[in-house]
Amino acid sequence: MLETEELRKVYKGKVAVNGVNLFLERGESVGLLGPNGAGKSTTISMIASLVSPTEGDVRLNGKSVLKNPNTIREVLGIVPQEIALYPELTAYENLKFFGRIYGLKGKKLESRVQEVLSLLGLSDRQKDIVNTYSGGMKRRINIGAALLHNPEILIMDEPTVGIDPQSRSYILDMVRQLNEEKEITVLYTSHYMEEVERLCDRVYVMDHGQVIASGTKNELKSILSSEEAILIELDREYPSLTRELKGDETILQTLETNKGLKLIVPKGSRLLGKVFHIAERHEAQVINISVQEPTLEDVFLHLTGRKLRD
Amino acid sequence: MIPFILKDLKIMMRDRTELIVLLLMPFILIGILGFALRGIFEGDTAALHMDVAILQEDHEEEGIALFIEELENKSLPFESIASLTDVARETSPTQLLYTMLEEGDLSEMVNVKDVTNIDEAKELIQREEIVAALTIPDGFTFDSLQKMLLDEGEGSELRILMNESGSLHANIFHDIIQQFVKELNFEYAIAMASGSEGTNLSEVEEVSLGGIDTISTREPVSSLQYYALGIAVMFILYVSSTLASKAFVEKKQHVFHRILLSGTHPMTYLSGKFVSGTLISFLQLVILFLLSTFVFQAFNPVSVNFWLGIAGISAILSLCVGGLSMLLTSISVRYDSDAVSAIFSGGVVSLFAFVGGSFFPTENMPEFFTFLGSWTPNGAGLTAYLQWLQGYEGTTVIRSLVRILMITSGVVLLSIVIFPKRRSKPS
Repeated sequence: MLETEELRKVYKGKVAVNGVNLFLERGESVGLLGPNGAGKSTTISMIASLVSPTEGDVRLNGKSVLKNPNTIREVLGIVPQEIALYPELTAYENLKFFGRIYGLKGKKLESRVQEVLSLLGLSDRQKDIVNTYSGGMKRRINIGAALLHNPEILIMDEPTVGIDPQSRSYILDMVRQLNEEKEITVLYTSHYMEEVERLCDRVYVMDHGQVIASGTKNELKSILSSEEAILIELDREYPSLTRELKGDETILQTLETNKGLKLIVPKGSRLLGKVFHIAERHEAQVINISVQEPTLEDVFLHLTGRKLRD
Repeated sequence: MIPFILKDLKIMMRDRTELIVLLLMPFILIGILGFALRGIFEGDTAALHMDVAILQEDHEEEGIALFIEELENKSLPFESIASLTDVARETSPTQLLYTMLEEGDLSEMVNVKDVTNIDEAKELIQREEIVAALTIPDGFTFDSLQKMLLDEGEGSELRILMNESGSLHANIFHDIIQQFVKELNFEYAIAMASGSEGTNLSEVEEVSLGGIDTISTREPVSSLQYYALGIAVMFILYVSSTLASKAFVEKKQHVFHRILLSGTHPMTYLSGKFVSGTLISFLQLVILFLLSTFVFQAFNPVSVNFWLGIAGISAILSLCVGGLSMLLTSISVRYDSDAVSAIFSGGVVSLFAFVGGSFFPTENMPEFFTFLGSWTPNGAGLTAYLQWLQGYEGTTVIRSLVRILMITSGVVLLSIVIFPKRRSKPS
């Protein structure tokens, strides 16, 4: 349905996006993962025809949209990372304004605005000024403004940044509902790996302006199928312990986490005893230790050498 | 375009800070400046009231009789003698002086009392009951008529007595008398230049009075009227920077992108800013003029025709503000910065107000200064309003309006050139 071909953007001599190829099938939910500065937003802007690519093409149903951007704009709903609303207006007024500029009028506009408000769960707060809303409610209206014209494709750029878990859960359920029930194709970018794991069928991983891996969740995880992760929870930091573990050749990767350390080791290597022994030697107090299957986060770490939120 | 205009109007109405800047601040300024500078604008003579004395040593009737007697002894044609006799009887310099001081505007400012001798005058000055005493010397009428009508003799001199240090009031009285003497001399000079064979005073009066008439037929402008207009034309300029700064926020918050994604042509968005700027500034003018009329009584009573003219000028001026809104929006969106609109509201508006005459009348300023002011939207607008208020011909007012329309066309064209037509830089 939608595909990009060798998409490239150079801005002031700096390569922001370099040869990105991705595609979305109708009704799919696709994740786009990457740390800040990976080029996700620029890629989205080029797909939406808001930024012209230096090279490459964007095709909708096989036809290039670069010369006639309105063809994609009609079927596209964009949810930007920013709250792209008028805070001085009510939720109702905001939706009505965006509905009007999409060409909706009269009863059709009114009924569509009410439908969207109902979907967002904000019908009873529709006459309140957006500025008085909580972060989660603003995010919901931000999504609603992209849904008024019944788009076929919804591109969401980190739509849950900075909101409470309850609102996040509401938004994720809503996106799943839109994807499954309304068959809206979704391209979802996020810092939160668990959101992508929960919502998306396929994932693209971007770093430094390039797609460094892609596939279904299982395909990506299979990159680390021969490895497993040992999570060590410590009472505090032990730099000498970390140094020794990093220098151990039998451990593939030693990463510092919020609570302690994460070791990527060959599957079935039975290194737990050795790890305990080293920890005891450094007089480190181990609070908890566990072995787990690799997550997408681990895949990302493996591919980029850094955490998603770095 | 209508959704954009409605949206801008709603946002503006709900922004209390902007409403204070656009309506409350100018209203307060009109009140402060209008009342504080009332005396200067309206020639309020109450503060300049003064008591003076006149010591009349001249014998007017005797002087005129003596002049006619001398005239009859001249070897002049009979017609000339008859004509000059009439003029001498009608144009007594003493009477002219008394008429000037005791009638018209000066009568509210100068209170004249007669004294019989110079000692009495000195005593009154010492007791500060009068600020000055004017002595009309013996033979003043005869000597003046001889000099004025026959160009004979040395004329006469008026003498003013005041205390040693003088005072503002005494100096003003001195200036008034000096001006009177100058005018007499001016009339005399014109009379002499008007013909070699005697004089024709009826022509002299026509020339002289004609000049005064031209000025006095114009309605005077009160300070409240001046500042209601001057401050209003200044503060409407803030509408353009306000709209531009809101456009910058729209761009920054990606609302502008959302608008473009709807398939709205960028020019529709920009035109919306033009219409919004025009409407908001027009409403602002209407509110400020209504407040000035009903609260400060600045414009009563006036005719429907007057208000139609004011509405017309306001509409054209508002178009210019719409154009400026477009230009500042274009710059903000194109360069992803609201620095220019901040500079405009923080400095350029004050500069425009200064040279355009919003703070004080600039008619006595250097020509280059007034020229600059006449090419500012507020300066040209203020001139148009003042001319209309003073009853100038429509053709005169139109000159300022054409200037505003030229500025409008310029800024609109420039903004179209600057505004990004389709896509923007990555954020």
